[in-house]
Order: sequence, then C-alpha cells, then structure tokens
Amino acid sequence: MLIHDGPGLTDVQLTLGQKIWNINWMLVLLISATAAVGFAMLYSVAGGSMDPWVKRQMTRFGMGLILMFLVALVDVRFWMRYAYGIYAIALALLIAVEFIGSVGMGAQRWVDLGFFQLQPSEVMKIAMVLALSRYFHGLSLDEVERFRWLMPPLLMMLAPVALVLRQPDLGTALLIVMGSGAIFLMAGVRMWLFGVVFAAVGAAAPFAWSYLHTYQKARILTFLNPERDPLGAGYHILQSKIALGSGGLAGRGYMQGTQSYLNFLPEKQTDFIFTSLAEEFGLTGALVLLSLYVVIIIYGIAIALRSRNHFGRLVAMGITVTFFLYVFINIAMVTGLVPVVGVPLPLISYGGTAMMTILIGFGLLISVYVHRDVRIPRRPGDSV
Amino acid sequence: MSVFRRKPRAIAPVAETKLQWSDDAEQILENGRNRLVVVGAVFALAFTLVGARLIDLAVLQGHDANQTALNDEQRPSAERADILDRNGVVLATNLITASLFAEPRRVLDAADAARKIVLALPELNEQEVEKKLSGGRAFIWLKRHLTPKQQHDVNALGVPGVGFRDDRKRVYPHGNLVAHVLGYTGIDNEGQAGIELQYDEQLSTVTQKASAATNGDPLRLSVDVRVQFALQQELSRAVEEFSALGAAGIVLDAVTGEVLAMVSLPDFDPNQARTASSNAMFNRASLGVYEMGSTFKAFTTAMALDAGTVKIGGGYDATKPLRVARFTIRDDHPKKRWLSVPEIFIYSSNIGAAKMAVDVGAERQKEFLGRLGLLQRAALELPEVGRPISPSRWGEISTMTVAFGHGIAVSPVQLTSAMAAMVNGGIRIDPTLMAKQPMDTPQGTRVIKTRTSSIMKRLMRLNVEEGTGSKAKAAGYLVGGKTGTAEKAVAGSYQRKALLSSFIGAFPMNDPRYVVLAVIDEPKGTKKSFGYAGGGWTAAPVFGRVVSRIGPLMGVAPVDEESKSVRNAMFIRVKAGG
Repeated sequence: MLIHDGPGLTDVQLTLGQKIWNINWMLVLLISATAAVGFAMLYSVAGGSMDPWVKRQMTRFGMGLILMFLVALVDVRFWMRYAYGIYAIALALLIAVEFIGSVGMGAQRWVDLGFFQLQPSEVMKIAMVLALSRYFHGLSLDEVERFRWLMPPLLMMLAPVALVLRQPDLGTALLIVMGSGAIFLMAGVRMWLFGVVFAAVGAAAPFAWSYLHTYQKARILTFLNPERDPLGAGYHILQSKIALGSGGLAGRGYMQGTQSYLNFLPEKQTDFIFTSLAEEFGLTGALVLLSLYVVIIIYGIAIALRSRNHFGRLVAMGITVTFFLYVFINIAMVTGLVPVVGVPLPLISYGGTAMMTILIGFGLLISVYVHRDVRIPRRPGDSV
Repeated sequence: MSVFRRKPRAIAPVAETKLQWSDDAEQILENGRNRLVVVGAVFALAFTLVGARLIDLAVLQGHDANQTALNDEQRPSAERADILDRNGVVLATNLITASLFAEPRRVLDAADAARKIVLALPELNEQEVEKKLSGGRAFIWLKRHLTPKQQHDVNALGVPGVGFRDDRKRVYPHGNLVAHVLGYTGIDNEGQAGIELQYDEQLSTVTQKASAATNGDPLRLSVDVRVQFALQQELSRAVEEFSALGAAGIVLDAVTGEVLAMVSLPDFDPNQARTASSNAMFNRASLGVYEMGSTFKAFTTAMALDAGTVKIGGGYDATKPLRVARFTIRDDHPKKRWLSVPEIFIYSSNIGAAKMAVDVGAERQKEFLGRLGLLQRAALELPEVGRPISPSRWGEISTMTVAFGHGIAVSPVQLTSAMAAMVNGGIRIDPTLMAKQPMDTPQGTRVIKTRTSSIMKRLMRLNVEEGTGSKAKAAGYLVGGKTGTAEKAVAGSYQRKALLSSFIGAFPMNDPRYVVLAVIDEPKGTKKSFGYAGGGWTAAPVFGRVVSRIGPLMGVAPVDEESKSVRNAMFIRVKAGG
C-alpha cells in the first residue's frame, strides 16, 4: 500500500495486484450476504422453488458482481474524466425513452436495446452522482457558497428529474432529487439554502397535488388512511402490516409465511419482499437485515471519510446515500411510514435493473476505496 | 485532462500555490467531515425510526394483527354477510365446511396417497390428484367444501401431508326460489350476479368485531319469500300448462316502490350456479326487454285524459282499420263502430289507442313515457337491468304503434313500476329491492293528476268485470288490470304464433297497494283455453290466483265486491251519454 503525504508525490499508479489487494473484501462479503438473504426469500415466496425467481436472480447477481469488480478496478480518475460524458449519455437515453420507450405497467420507462431492456432512469442515478461530484470537485469553497455557481448543478439535476417525472416515475424522481441533495450538502452548499428549498417544496405541495396521477393521489390518500380502500389501493399496505404483525418476535419460521402460498400480496417478490421476511423471521430477522444494511452504509461513510480526494468522497457519499434511500424508503413504505412508491429493497427484491444499479454503485464505492490516496487537482492542469 | 495520462513528474510547485491549495483542500475536507456528521445523524435518525416502527408493528400491535392473519389463513373463503327477506327469513348465508388441502412437500408417496384419497372422494380424478400431490408446491387445494362424512372418510385414511381448513360455503336455503334476485357467488365467495354482485363490497366487508355467527350486518331485501313462492308456483304452473318457453312476474308495492317478488322462469339453483344454462340464468323480469303490447294502452289512455285531448265521455271511430303509409292498424276484436274511451280500453282497440295518441302528439308522448321511466334503464339494484329499446325516429307511425305497445321494448320491471304510478294516485316511485323502513315513504314524482289516476283505477276494474281481463278475477280483492298480447318479433318480423302474453293489474282497486305482473313467454293454446294463447287466457288466471294467495298474506281485507259502496266507488259510464 502506498501512502503519500507530500504534495510532490501525488499521482498514484497502482498495479492490478495492488488494486485487488486493496479491494474492501469485507464490504464484498456484506453485499453477498445480503444478496444471499434475498435468494432465500425468493425461494420461499416461490413456494419453495428455484423457479421462477431465484435462478435468474442469482445469474444477475453473478453478472452484477463481475461488473462491480470491473468498475472497482478502473482508476477513479477515469470515472471523473468521463463523468460528464456518462451523464450526457444517460440524459440522451432518458430523452430517447420519451420517443421510443416501451410502455410497461402503464409507465414509459424502458428502452429496448434488443438484447437488454434498459431503464435509463437507473443509469441516471449513477450518472448524476458522478457528474455532480465532478462539478463540485472543481469548485473552491468560495465558489460553492456563491449562488451563481449553484445554477449549473441545479439544472443538471432538474433536467433528468423532469424527464423521469414525465414517464411517470415519482419514486425514481424523488430518489434522484434526494441523492443529489445529499451531494449538494456534502459539497458545502450553505445550510440555509436547504431550509429555503424545504419551505418552497412545502408551499408548492398543494399545487403539485393537482399534477399527480390519480393512482399517485390514491396512494397518498391511502397512506393517510389505509382503511379507506382496504381491497383496492390500501390492500398492499394492510396485508403488509398484517404480515409484519403476525411475524411477532421470532417469526413463523422459514417457508411458513402466509404470503408464500396464500398469495395475499401480489408483487410479493419485488417491492414488498420485506413483508415476507418479517413474517417468516419476525422482528429478529428484520432487525438483522436492517443491521446488515446499516453496516454496509457505515462502510460507505467510512470510505467517504477515508478518501483523500474530494471527488471520491462525494461519489462515495452519493452512492451511500442512494443506497440508504432505497433501504429506508422501501422499509418505511412497507411498514406504512411513507406512501407507497415503487422502490425495491436493494439486493433482495427480484429485478435486474435495480440490482445492476446497486452493484455498479458499489463498484464505484470500492474504486474510491482502492484509489483513496490518489490526489486529484481541482482543475485539470492545476498542480497538487 | 492531461493530468490523468501523464506520468507523475516531479514538479516543484511554487510555494504559495501549494500552501493555498492545501489550505483550501484541508478546509474542504474538514467541511466535508462536518457535513458527514449531519448526514450520519440523519441516517441514524431514519434507521431508529424504521426500527421503532418495526418493533411497534411486530410486538406492540402484533397481537391484533396476529389474530387477523390467522383468521385469513383459516378461512380462505371470505366471510360474507347474510341476505334476508323483508321479514328476516334467511335467503343467503354461509355454511362452515371443511376444505381439503395438501402440502405436497410433506406427502411421502404421491401415488399411494392419490389412490387412497380418490377412494374416499370418488368424484376426484386420481391422475389429477397425483399430479397435484407430486408438484413440489408448499400448498394446494384438493377439494373445497367437504361434507362432514367426506371429511371423516378422508381423516380415516391417515394420509400424511393433507389436512383440512375451515372454509365457508355460500348457501341459499330456498334454492331456485329467489335465484335471479340473489344471483350467486364463486368458489371464493365473491359475488358473480344479482344482489351478490351488486352489493359485493358491502356484503364482504365484514367488520372485525362481528362474531362468526352473525357474519356482520345482514342485508335486508324488500322481497317477501311467501309472495315470491306464490308467484313462482303459479307462473310455473302456467308455463307447464301452456308449454311456454318461460315466464316472468313481479309483485310491487305501489306506494313504497318495494319489489315484493320477482320471478323469472326457467330458473336455476344458485347453490349450483356453475351447472346452470345461460337461458336459466337470464333474468327475464329485469334484464329482458319486450314489446309489451296492449298493456301500454293504459299509459296511452292516461296520457290522453291527463293532457285533456279527450274526455272520459269522448271516443274515437273504430269502424275500419287505420291505414298509415304502408301500415294497416286493425283491432283483434273489431267492433266496427264508434268506441268510447272506456270501450277502447276494455275491448283493447288498437285503432282507438292509436288515434288517441296521435291527438296528443309524438313529443308529448315521448316526454310522458320518459317521465314514467320507460325510456331509460330501471334504477333497480341489480347488475342485470335491461336497456329499453325505443324508436330512434319518433314519427307519427311510431306514435301510433307505441300507443298499443309495439315498436317499444321495455323490461317487465319498468312496466310494473310505470303501472304503479297509474293506480297509486299518479306518483312515480323508483322500484327497489331493498327493504324500507315503515315510515320511509319515498317522495316520487307526479306523472298524472290524482283525478286521472282515479279514472284509471275504474277503467282497470271495469276491464276485469266486463272486458278482456275477466279471468283475472280474485273474489273479494277487487282486482283491476289490463291484458297484453304481443306478437314476438323474431328475426325482424312479427310471428303470429309466437306471443308474449301478459296481464298487469293491481288490488284492491279502491285503494291499490300492490301491482302484480305476469308475463308468459310463447304460451301454446290448449283445449281448455279453446286454443287461445293471449294474455286474457294465459296470464290473467295466473294474476287472479296469485292475488287470491297473497292478499291474505299481505293483510288485505276482502270486500264485498257487489256492495253498493264499492260499486259506487268503482262506477264509470261506459257509453257516452248512456
């Protein structure tokens, strides 16, 4: 391991061997353990069968893991150099989805690449972190505090958010806004500005209401009162609460959950899988999974703290916050703390795209860790 | 950009720059650390919140939820409220049964188990059972709703990996009797037709506090099973006697709009709805729309009298058939003379009715029938309610044919409801299948003057005494009504032999409370009816017998029809000036 203190020896070139040695293997283990919990749950909700979900989920995880290592071994400066390029591609894909996207479940979210169904909003989650990190990396402290330097990143954030909202995908839009907000915060944007934004959002909420889709309104109304429509929009959340309650402290036991064979919950394998887990393993199981997530997030924060370049720190935080938001929103949703928005439980829920996003994100996180001691000048050409 | 590619060069930076950068960088990093604390605090807060919520749901609220979840598991068929008739007689309830399920992963020998199970339940197919048992699934139903004996037999087999769950089966104790009104439910007790479908949500929303015995608040219908039984029996008898295709009948409370009975024949057993034919399931009383024929003359007469285009003492010339364009309108029983309004009604003169309607005019006729609810779907609480068919171009010819009930098709329930307005003093009330509180008399809308309604009662009574409806008599109940014999339109033309024969009337005519309709679909004449198959010979006797049976049930006091006071009340001058 090379540690450079002096400004003269800043550019670190690691050999492949050093890089592999530098990978945070503990984090990889934690990720794999969480994914394994996911496989077990998918096996259970399929009624004790590898089909139709577990096999495919394992394949995807395997592919995602390979991708993660590839991303991790690439120099973090490479990601910085191409951050804007990646962002531009993601934005172009989002625009493309407007015109050539296929409509699935009432929303236009996918681009068919022939061999692969690509969800550009997922690509954007990563691209946004990279682009904003690069932007703020290039700002001095003075500049960060000046309003006119905040306009470009705000536009960078709002353009894709507007496109995602048009699909419509409120959940992803919120994820992007909150993830970006975290990077703004980490970059040192003054605190009172966040206060202003919160106040503005609060004031705009009644107007935004009228722009929401009927199903979105129904979800929010149902959130406020799930018994409003127990067989319709409130069905998920009520069944979910019942299942959580019936798990008790220790749970009903693996594969003994009612959800696995009585089919009270549609989509039990995706967004609501936490319910099955809590039913079968009880509060204990739920808290164990929560702890796994917490440890992963702590690792993320530690990696951010440890990074000696601003870009890496921002990327690490951006990825960690995005991951945190997935976890928090999903669990808060199934426990009825927030309205139902389509956010999967990362590494557990069945679904390829979210899995790829998460694993590529972790790839970046590990890349930041591997290259933690690299120093990057604020502007290309500046000395360090 | 180039910085990434270049090999590190030992640059000796200017001291100031170096200092400045490192200052700034340190500050940024320091700042970042502070901000990290903020983010970390938010994370910690969020996870505390989620953790607390989990504990709240799993442990603190756990007891209640546990109860519900267990119930869900043990009662795969949803609980469902009972349906009662107006007197509280149970029309639909739930039977607690046992349903046989298997956990194929615990079955040791699928082939052997399947063979044994089929021994106890011979109606199952052994191959299918074996396939289910060897599927490797966690749970599968083998047979729903076993009888106690079947359950005992299966239990005695001692096959591992199969078990029973309490289940609920919807049962209709009266079988066919109220089939079309009630409808039926599917295997999971979800409403599929009739009241069961119309009120599916209400019936299946059983409050958690309700005990298993009551199944929640029952739904009380306006139907009276006793009346329903009388109507069904008499209609069935007529269907048999006249070899008819089917029949429909309704008994309606003319004051409250409550439907006391609604029968459609052929009918089906809602306990075994899956085996019923679509013909049997078809509700002729509310979903079927028919050209009702002469019964419409009651509306035409009331309309003309109410509009003042003719007085009760007036009349029309019916000496010869009425020719309009290429149509000729004739009378079935031609008198070949000038007829008074009462004569037109009791001799059922098409010519007279047509002329009466022409004087009122198409516009007013259309508006009048609309107010009677004959031009839009009846507002009845059933999914099976037919849309009436009326002329798209309502010209003079339509005006004439509609006057005697042709060229317009309505459902029996619409006809009954409109007729109630003729005899109840002139107020139209939406028909309903829901029981009303005794004090709850609906407002309704006035459609004819009280005076016109009074004349209509006398005309209908007269028709039974001296006209086409004489076979509808029910001694003591002072019945009145109108026959209808419509040729059915089959494949675009009227069939002389295919008739829809009906009788609609009310009793007691001095203060009518109940309107009764009997419709016979394609009756064939018999020796007893001298080959006639019209409403007067087929439907009118049904009406008479139904009234004789339900009059005492409804507490209607019989009157001496020959007494002076009754005669005076029902008096009407038949011949102008005579």
